[in-house]
Amino acid sequence: MGSGKLRAEADLRRETLPQYKMDTVVGYTLQAGVLLSLALISAGLIWKWVATGGLVFDYRLRGMNLFHLAAQQFRLAAHGTVRPRLLVNLGVIVLLLTPYSRVLASVAYFTAILKNWKYSLFTSVVFIVLTYCLFLR
Amino acid sequence: MAPFHLLFPVSVLAGFVGAMSGLGGGVVLIPALTLLGVDIKHAIAVSILCIIATSCGSASAYVRNHIPNLKVGMFLEMFTVLGALTGASVTLVISPQPLYIAFGLVLLGSWLALLLAGRQSWHDGPQDSMSRWLELEGSYPDDAVGQTIHYKGRRAYLGAPAMLGAGIIAGLLGIGAGAVKVLIHDLVMGLPPKVSTTTSNLIIGVTALAGTSVYLAAGLINLGLAAPVILGVVLGAFIGTRLLVRLTNQAVRRFFLFVLLILAAEMIARGIRGA
Repeated sequence: MGSGKLRAEADLRRETLPQYKMDTVVGYTLQAGVLLSLALISAGLIWKWVATGGLVFDYRLRGMNLFHLAAQQFRLAAHGTVRPRLLVNLGVIVLLLTPYSRVLASVAYFTAILKNWKYSLFTSVVFIVLTYCLFLR
Repeated sequence: MAPFHLLFPVSVLAGFVGAMSGLGGGVVLIPALTLLGVDIKHAIAVSILCIIATSCGSASAYVRNHIPNLKVGMFLEMFTVLGALTGASVTLVISPQPLYIAFGLVLLGSWLALLLAGRQSWHDGPQDSMSRWLELEGSYPDDAVGQTIHYKGRRAYLGAPAMLGAGIIAGLLGIGAGAVKVLIHDLVMGLPPKVSTTTSNLIIGVTALAGTSVYLAAGLINLGLAAPVILGVVLGAFIGTRLLVRLTNQAVRRFFLFVLLILAAEMIARGIRGA
Protein backbone atom coordinates (compact mmCIF):
# COMPACT_ATOMS: atom_id res chain seq x y z
CA MET A 1 0.00 0.00 0.00
CA GLY A 2 2.83 2.37 1.06
CA SER A 3 4.98 1.57 -1.98
CA GLY A 4 1.91 2.01 -4.18
CA LYS A 5 1.42 5.48 -2.77
CA LEU A 6 5.09 6.34 -3.30
CA ARG A 7 4.90 5.07 -6.85
CA ALA A 8 1.77 7.14 -7.46
CA GLU A 9 3.56 10.24 -6.17
CA ALA A 10 6.59 9.53 -8.36
CA ASP A 11 4.27 9.04 -11.35
CA LEU A 12 2.57 12.34 -10.56
CA ARG A 13 5.93 14.17 -10.45
CA ARG A 14 7.09 12.43 -13.64
CA GLU A 15 3.88 13.47 -15.37
CA THR A 16 3.54 16.99 -14.02
CA LEU A 17 6.46 18.62 -15.83
CA PRO A 18 5.77 17.33 -19.36
CA GLN A 19 2.06 17.89 -18.72
CA TYR A 20 2.65 21.57 -17.89
CA LYS A 21 4.75 22.00 -21.04
CA MET A 22 2.13 20.17 -23.06
CA ASP A 23 -0.67 22.34 -21.61
CA THR A 24 1.17 25.47 -22.72
CA VAL A 25 1.69 24.16 -26.26
CA VAL A 26 -1.93 22.96 -26.57
CA GLY A 27 -3.28 26.20 -25.08
CA TYR A 28 -1.46 28.38 -27.59
CA THR A 29 -2.30 26.05 -30.51
CA LEU A 30 -6.02 26.28 -29.72
CA GLN A 31 -5.83 30.04 -29.35
CA ALA A 32 -3.84 30.51 -32.56
CA GLY A 33 -6.24 28.25 -34.50
CA VAL A 34 -9.35 30.11 -33.37
CA LEU A 35 -7.82 33.56 -33.89
CA LEU A 36 -6.52 32.69 -37.37
CA SER A 37 -9.91 31.27 -38.32
CA LEU A 38 -11.77 34.34 -37.07
CA ALA A 39 -9.29 36.64 -38.84
CA LEU A 40 -9.82 34.81 -42.16
CA ILE A 41 -13.62 34.87 -41.84
CA SER A 42 -13.61 38.57 -40.89
CA ALA A 43 -11.27 39.40 -43.77
CA GLY A 44 -13.57 37.53 -46.16
CA LEU A 45 -16.62 39.43 -44.92
CA ILE A 46 -14.89 42.82 -45.02
CA TRP A 47 -13.61 42.14 -48.53
CA LYS A 48 -17.10 41.17 -49.64
CA TRP A 49 -18.50 44.35 -48.13
CA VAL A 50 -15.84 46.57 -49.73
CA ALA A 51 -16.24 44.87 -53.11
CA THR A 52 -20.02 44.67 -53.31
CA GLY A 53 -21.35 46.94 -50.58
CA GLY A 54 -23.29 43.98 -49.19
CA LEU A 55 -22.58 41.30 -46.66
CA VAL A 56 -24.92 38.62 -47.90
CA PHE A 57 -23.23 35.47 -49.03
CA ASP A 58 -25.60 32.68 -49.76
CA TYR A 59 -23.83 29.57 -50.64
CA ARG A 60 -23.87 26.08 -49.31
CA LEU A 61 -20.93 23.78 -49.36
CA ARG A 62 -22.26 20.97 -51.49
CA GLY A 63 -21.85 17.77 -49.47
CA MET A 64 -18.12 17.35 -49.22
CA ASN A 65 -15.65 16.47 -46.54
CA LEU A 66 -13.02 18.68 -45.01
CA PHE A 67 -10.18 17.29 -47.10
CA HIS A 68 -12.09 17.77 -50.38
CA LEU A 69 -12.94 21.29 -49.35
CA ALA A 70 -9.32 22.04 -48.43
CA ALA A 71 -7.98 20.56 -51.68
CA GLN A 72 -10.51 22.55 -53.71
CA GLN A 73 -9.63 25.81 -51.94
CA PHE A 74 -5.89 25.32 -52.35
CA ARG A 75 -6.40 24.57 -56.06
CA LEU A 76 -8.36 27.80 -56.42
CA ALA A 77 -5.72 29.75 -54.53
CA ALA A 78 -2.96 28.21 -56.68
CA HIS A 79 -4.79 29.38 -59.81
CA GLY A 80 -4.92 32.87 -58.40
CA THR A 81 -8.71 32.76 -57.88
CA VAL A 82 -8.66 34.58 -54.58
CA ARG A 83 -12.07 35.93 -53.59
CA PRO A 84 -13.89 36.67 -50.31
CA ARG A 85 -15.48 33.23 -50.31
CA LEU A 86 -12.06 31.58 -50.38
CA LEU A 87 -11.03 33.37 -47.18
CA VAL A 88 -14.25 32.35 -45.40
CA ASN A 89 -13.75 28.75 -46.52
CA LEU A 90 -10.14 28.76 -45.33
CA GLY A 91 -11.32 30.17 -41.99
CA VAL A 92 -13.73 27.26 -41.58
CA ILE A 93 -11.02 24.75 -42.58
CA VAL A 94 -8.64 26.17 -39.94
CA LEU A 95 -11.47 26.07 -37.37
CA LEU A 96 -12.16 22.37 -38.02
CA LEU A 97 -8.46 21.52 -37.93
CA THR A 98 -8.00 23.19 -34.52
CA PRO A 99 -9.58 20.54 -32.24
CA TYR A 100 -8.35 17.83 -34.63
CA SER A 101 -4.74 18.94 -34.13
CA ARG A 102 -5.33 19.07 -30.37
CA VAL A 103 -6.27 15.39 -30.42
CA LEU A 104 -3.26 14.58 -32.64
CA ALA A 105 -1.01 16.37 -30.14
CA SER A 106 -2.56 14.30 -27.33
CA VAL A 107 -1.82 11.07 -29.22
CA ALA A 108 1.83 12.16 -29.59
CA TYR A 109 2.01 13.20 -25.93
CA PHE A 110 0.72 9.92 -24.49
CA THR A 111 2.64 7.77 -26.99
CA ALA A 112 6.02 9.47 -27.25
CA ILE A 113 6.42 11.44 -24.02
CA LEU A 114 4.49 9.60 -21.31
CA LYS A 115 4.69 6.17 -23.02
CA ASN A 116 1.30 5.42 -21.47
CA TRP A 117 -0.15 2.60 -23.62
CA LYS A 118 -3.65 2.86 -22.20
CA TYR A 119 -4.04 6.50 -23.09
CA SER A 120 -2.12 6.07 -26.35
CA LEU A 121 -4.89 3.63 -27.25
CA PHE A 122 -7.75 5.87 -26.06
CA THR A 123 -6.43 8.99 -27.81
CA SER A 124 -5.84 6.95 -30.98
CA VAL A 125 -9.45 5.73 -30.90
CA VAL A 126 -10.67 9.34 -30.67
CA PHE A 127 -8.30 10.36 -33.46
CA ILE A 128 -9.42 7.50 -35.73
CA VAL A 129 -13.14 8.19 -35.18
CA LEU A 130 -12.58 11.91 -35.91
CA THR A 131 -10.59 11.08 -39.04
CA TYR A 132 -13.43 8.80 -40.16
CA CYS A 133 -15.90 11.66 -39.55
CA LEU A 134 -13.76 14.10 -41.53
CA PHE A 135 -13.64 11.67 -44.48
CA LEU A 136 -17.44 11.18 -44.55
CA ARG A 137 -19.10 11.92 -47.87
CA MET B 1 -31.82 34.35 -45.81
CA ALA B 2 -31.82 36.77 -42.88
CA PRO B 3 -29.56 39.80 -43.48
CA PHE B 4 -26.26 40.43 -41.73
CA HIS B 5 -27.63 43.28 -39.62
CA LEU B 6 -30.07 40.84 -38.01
CA LEU B 7 -27.91 37.70 -37.89
CA PHE B 8 -24.88 39.36 -36.35
CA PRO B 9 -26.51 41.04 -33.30
CA VAL B 10 -28.69 37.99 -32.62
CA SER B 11 -25.53 35.83 -32.63
CA VAL B 12 -23.69 38.25 -30.33
CA LEU B 13 -26.63 38.07 -27.92
CA ALA B 14 -26.75 34.25 -28.10
CA GLY B 15 -23.01 33.98 -27.42
CA PHE B 16 -23.29 36.48 -24.58
CA VAL B 17 -26.22 34.78 -22.85
CA GLY B 18 -24.65 31.35 -23.45
CA ALA B 19 -21.39 32.38 -21.79
CA MET B 20 -23.02 34.26 -18.90
CA SER B 21 -25.37 31.41 -18.04
CA GLY B 22 -22.70 28.74 -18.62
CA LEU B 23 -25.04 26.89 -20.97
CA GLY B 24 -23.19 27.62 -24.23
CA GLY B 25 -24.25 29.59 -27.28
CA GLY B 26 -26.24 26.89 -29.08
CA VAL B 27 -29.07 26.76 -26.59
CA VAL B 28 -30.09 30.35 -27.42
CA LEU B 29 -28.72 30.53 -30.97
CA ILE B 30 -30.80 27.72 -32.48
CA PRO B 31 -34.23 28.96 -31.30
CA ALA B 32 -33.23 32.52 -32.32
CA LEU B 33 -32.14 31.44 -35.81
CA THR B 34 -35.33 29.45 -36.34
CA LEU B 35 -37.31 32.54 -35.32
CA LEU B 36 -35.40 34.44 -38.05
CA GLY B 37 -36.69 31.89 -40.53
CA VAL B 38 -33.66 29.58 -40.75
CA ASP B 39 -34.61 25.92 -41.16
CA ILE B 40 -33.88 24.02 -37.92
CA LYS B 41 -31.43 21.57 -39.51
CA HIS B 42 -29.36 24.41 -40.98
CA ALA B 43 -29.50 26.21 -37.62
CA ILE B 44 -28.23 23.06 -35.89
CA ALA B 45 -25.39 22.66 -38.41
CA VAL B 46 -24.23 26.27 -38.04
CA SER B 47 -24.56 26.15 -34.27
CA ILE B 48 -22.36 23.09 -33.89
CA LEU B 49 -19.72 24.76 -36.09
CA CYS B 50 -19.79 27.83 -33.83
CA ILE B 51 -19.36 25.64 -30.79
CA ILE B 52 -15.94 24.54 -32.05
CA ALA B 53 -14.85 28.19 -32.01
CA THR B 54 -16.25 29.10 -28.58
CA SER B 55 -15.09 25.85 -26.97
CA CYS B 56 -11.53 25.97 -28.36
CA GLY B 57 -11.30 29.67 -27.56
CA SER B 58 -12.09 29.25 -23.87
CA ALA B 59 -10.30 25.88 -23.58
CA SER B 60 -7.03 27.57 -24.60
CA ALA B 61 -7.04 29.72 -21.47
CA TYR B 62 -8.12 26.89 -19.13
CA VAL B 63 -5.50 24.48 -20.47
CA ARG B 64 -2.71 27.00 -19.89
CA ASN B 65 -3.87 27.27 -16.26
CA HIS B 66 -3.57 23.44 -15.98
CA ILE B 67 -7.15 22.98 -14.79
CA PRO B 68 -8.80 20.45 -17.18
CA ASN B 69 -7.95 16.78 -16.70
CA LEU B 70 -6.67 15.50 -20.06
CA LYS B 71 -7.08 11.83 -19.12
CA VAL B 72 -10.70 12.27 -18.04
CA GLY B 73 -11.23 14.29 -21.22
CA MET B 74 -9.66 11.77 -23.59
CA PHE B 75 -11.37 8.78 -21.99
CA LEU B 76 -14.80 10.42 -22.22
CA GLU B 77 -14.21 11.82 -25.72
CA MET B 78 -14.19 8.24 -27.04
CA PHE B 79 -17.85 8.08 -26.07
CA THR B 80 -18.94 11.61 -26.94
CA VAL B 81 -17.54 11.50 -30.50
CA LEU B 82 -19.36 8.24 -31.21
CA GLY B 83 -22.49 9.78 -29.71
CA ALA B 84 -22.18 12.95 -31.81
CA LEU B 85 -21.65 10.91 -34.98
CA THR B 86 -24.80 8.92 -34.20
CA GLY B 87 -26.87 11.92 -33.12
CA ALA B 88 -25.99 14.02 -36.17
CA SER B 89 -26.74 11.08 -38.49
CA VAL B 90 -30.19 10.77 -36.90
CA THR B 91 -30.89 14.50 -37.42
CA LEU B 92 -30.20 14.11 -41.14
CA VAL B 93 -32.97 11.58 -41.59
CA ILE B 94 -35.75 12.58 -39.19
CA SER B 95 -38.41 15.24 -39.74
CA PRO B 96 -38.03 18.66 -38.03
CA GLN B 97 -40.96 18.26 -35.58
CA PRO B 98 -39.31 15.78 -33.21
CA LEU B 99 -36.17 17.96 -33.30
CA TYR B 100 -38.15 20.96 -32.03
CA ILE B 101 -39.66 18.86 -29.26
CA ALA B 102 -36.31 17.28 -28.29
CA PHE B 103 -34.75 20.74 -28.25
CA GLY B 104 -37.50 22.05 -26.00
CA LEU B 105 -36.99 19.13 -23.63
CA VAL B 106 -33.23 19.73 -23.50
CA LEU B 107 -33.92 23.38 -22.74
CA LEU B 108 -36.17 22.30 -19.88
CA GLY B 109 -33.36 20.01 -18.66
CA SER B 110 -30.88 22.91 -18.85
CA TRP B 111 -33.39 25.03 -16.96
CA LEU B 112 -33.47 22.41 -14.23
CA ALA B 113 -29.64 22.12 -14.24
CA LEU B 114 -29.33 25.88 -13.86
CA LEU B 115 -31.91 25.89 -11.09
CA LEU B 116 -30.01 23.22 -9.18
CA ALA B 117 -26.51 24.52 -10.02
CA GLY B 118 -24.28 25.28 -7.09
CA ARG B 119 -26.41 23.31 -4.62
CA GLN B 120 -23.89 20.45 -4.53
CA SER B 121 -20.69 20.91 -2.60
CA TRP B 122 -17.70 18.93 -3.81
CA HIS B 123 -15.93 16.44 -1.57
CA ASP B 124 -13.32 13.84 -2.44
CA GLY B 125 -14.38 10.21 -2.05
CA PRO B 126 -13.09 6.65 -2.51
CA GLN B 127 -12.20 5.56 -6.03
CA ASP B 128 -13.52 2.34 -7.63
CA SER B 129 -11.11 -0.09 -9.31
CA MET B 130 -12.09 0.81 -12.89
CA SER B 131 -11.51 4.53 -12.34
CA ARG B 132 -8.20 3.72 -10.64
CA TRP B 133 -7.17 1.58 -13.62
CA LEU B 134 -8.11 4.50 -15.87
CA GLU B 135 -5.86 6.80 -13.80
CA LEU B 136 -8.68 9.31 -13.39
CA GLU B 137 -7.06 11.32 -10.63
CA GLY B 138 -5.34 14.62 -10.73
CA SER B 139 -4.64 17.94 -9.15
CA TYR B 140 -4.94 21.55 -10.13
CA PRO B 141 -3.71 24.85 -8.74
CA ASP B 142 -6.70 26.68 -7.24
CA ASP B 143 -5.94 30.40 -7.12
CA ALA B 144 -9.04 31.16 -5.06
CA VAL B 145 -7.81 29.13 -2.07
CA GLY B 146 -4.11 29.44 -2.92
CA GLN B 147 -3.32 25.72 -2.91
CA THR B 148 -3.22 22.64 -5.11
CA ILE B 149 -6.42 20.58 -4.95
CA HIS B 150 -6.02 16.81 -5.35
CA TYR B 151 -8.99 14.73 -6.46
CA LYS B 152 -9.91 11.24 -7.63
CA GLY B 153 -12.48 10.75 -10.38
CA ARG B 154 -14.88 7.87 -9.75
CA ARG B 155 -17.69 5.80 -11.30
CA ALA B 156 -16.18 5.84 -14.82
CA TYR B 157 -18.47 2.88 -15.60
CA LEU B 158 -21.46 5.22 -15.27
CA GLY B 159 -19.76 8.31 -16.67
CA ALA B 160 -18.86 6.63 -19.98
CA PRO B 161 -22.38 5.57 -21.06
CA ALA B 162 -23.80 8.86 -19.75
CA MET B 163 -21.30 10.71 -21.94
CA LEU B 164 -22.37 8.65 -24.95
CA GLY B 165 -25.86 10.03 -24.29
CA ALA B 166 -24.51 13.59 -23.93
CA GLY B 167 -22.67 13.14 -27.25
CA ILE B 168 -25.89 11.97 -28.96
CA ILE B 169 -27.73 15.06 -27.68
CA ALA B 170 -24.86 17.31 -28.83
CA GLY B 171 -24.79 15.84 -32.35
CA LEU B 172 -28.57 15.58 -32.67
CA LEU B 173 -29.34 19.15 -31.60
CA GLY B 174 -26.14 20.99 -32.48
CA ILE B 175 -25.43 22.14 -28.94
CA GLY B 176 -22.40 21.64 -26.70
CA ALA B 177 -24.61 19.96 -24.09
CA GLY B 178 -22.21 21.45 -21.56
CA ALA B 179 -24.83 21.48 -18.81
CA VAL B 180 -25.33 17.71 -19.20
CA LYS B 181 -21.58 17.04 -19.28
CA VAL B 182 -20.93 19.15 -16.19
CA LEU B 183 -23.72 17.34 -14.34
CA ILE B 184 -22.16 13.98 -15.24
CA HIS B 185 -18.71 15.14 -14.12
CA ASP B 186 -20.04 16.62 -10.87
CA LEU B 187 -22.67 14.16 -9.76
CA VAL B 188 -21.52 10.87 -11.29
CA MET B 189 -17.74 11.16 -11.44
CA GLY B 190 -17.17 13.36 -8.39
CA LEU B 191 -14.86 15.89 -10.04
CA PRO B 192 -14.33 19.31 -8.45
CA PRO B 193 -16.49 22.00 -10.16
CA LYS B 194 -13.57 23.81 -11.83
CA VAL B 195 -12.18 20.60 -13.28
CA SER B 196 -15.61 19.47 -14.41
CA THR B 197 -16.52 22.68 -16.28
CA THR B 198 -13.12 23.08 -17.94
CA THR B 199 -12.76 19.42 -18.90
CA SER B 200 -16.29 19.48 -20.31
CA ASN B 201 -15.25 22.49 -22.37
CA LEU B 202 -12.30 20.55 -23.81
CA ILE B 203 -14.58 17.61 -24.69
CA ILE B 204 -17.18 19.88 -26.32
CA GLY B 205 -14.80 21.09 -29.06
CA VAL B 206 -13.90 17.59 -30.19
CA THR B 207 -17.50 16.37 -29.94
CA ALA B 208 -18.69 19.33 -32.01
CA LEU B 209 -16.07 18.51 -34.67
CA ALA B 210 -17.53 15.00 -35.08
CA GLY B 211 -21.04 16.46 -35.44
CA THR B 212 -19.92 19.23 -37.81
CA SER B 213 -18.26 16.70 -40.14
CA VAL B 214 -21.57 14.88 -40.57
CA TYR B 215 -23.41 18.13 -41.39
CA LEU B 216 -20.61 19.25 -43.71
CA ALA B 217 -20.78 15.97 -45.64
CA ALA B 218 -24.57 16.34 -45.89
CA GLY B 219 -24.24 19.85 -47.38
CA LEU B 220 -26.09 21.49 -44.49
CA ILE B 221 -23.39 24.05 -43.70
CA ASN B 222 -24.29 27.32 -45.37
CA LEU B 223 -21.18 29.45 -45.07
CA GLY B 224 -23.09 32.61 -45.89
CA LEU B 225 -25.05 31.99 -42.71
CA ALA B 226 -22.11 30.59 -40.75
CA ALA B 227 -19.67 33.47 -41.27
CA PRO B 228 -21.61 36.25 -39.48
CA VAL B 229 -22.97 33.82 -36.89
CA ILE B 230 -19.50 32.50 -35.89
CA LEU B 231 -18.11 36.01 -35.53
CA GLY B 232 -21.14 37.14 -33.53
CA VAL B 233 -21.26 34.17 -31.17
CA VAL B 234 -17.52 34.33 -30.44
CA LEU B 235 -17.70 38.08 -29.79
CA GLY B 236 -20.73 37.64 -27.51
CA ALA B 237 -19.10 34.77 -25.62
CA PHE B 238 -15.92 36.81 -25.20
CA ILE B 239 -17.83 39.74 -23.69
CA GLY B 240 -19.96 37.41 -21.54
CA THR B 241 -16.94 35.58 -20.12
CA ARG B 242 -15.12 38.82 -19.28
CA LEU B 243 -18.20 40.35 -17.69
CA LEU B 244 -19.21 37.52 -15.44
CA VAL B 245 -17.43 34.21 -15.10
CA ARG B 246 -20.14 32.49 -13.09
CA LEU B 247 -23.70 33.31 -12.27
CA THR B 248 -23.59 35.03 -8.93
CA ASN B 249 -26.20 37.69 -9.23
CA GLN B 250 -29.62 36.29 -8.36
CA ALA B 251 -31.48 38.75 -10.61
CA VAL B 252 -29.39 37.78 -13.66
CA ARG B 253 -29.86 34.13 -12.82
CA ARG B 254 -33.62 34.48 -12.55
CA PHE B 255 -33.66 36.31 -15.88
CA PHE B 256 -31.87 33.41 -17.60
CA LEU B 257 -34.21 30.91 -15.98
CA PHE B 258 -37.14 32.90 -17.35
CA VAL B 259 -35.63 33.15 -20.88
CA LEU B 260 -34.88 29.43 -20.96
CA LEU B 261 -38.40 28.54 -19.92
CA ILE B 262 -39.91 30.76 -22.63
CA LEU B 263 -37.60 29.30 -25.29
CA ALA B 264 -38.39 25.75 -24.16
CA ALA B 265 -42.15 26.38 -24.32
CA GLU B 266 -41.80 28.04 -27.73
CA MET B 267 -39.79 25.15 -29.21
CA ILE B 268 -42.12 22.46 -27.85
CA ALA B 269 -45.18 24.37 -29.08
CA ARG B 270 -43.66 24.67 -32.57
CA GLY B 271 -42.84 20.96 -32.57
CA ILE B 272 -46.44 20.11 -31.71
CA ARG B 273 -47.94 22.64 -34.15
CA GLY B 274 -45.70 21.34 -36.90
CA ALA B 275 -43.38 24.41 -36.96
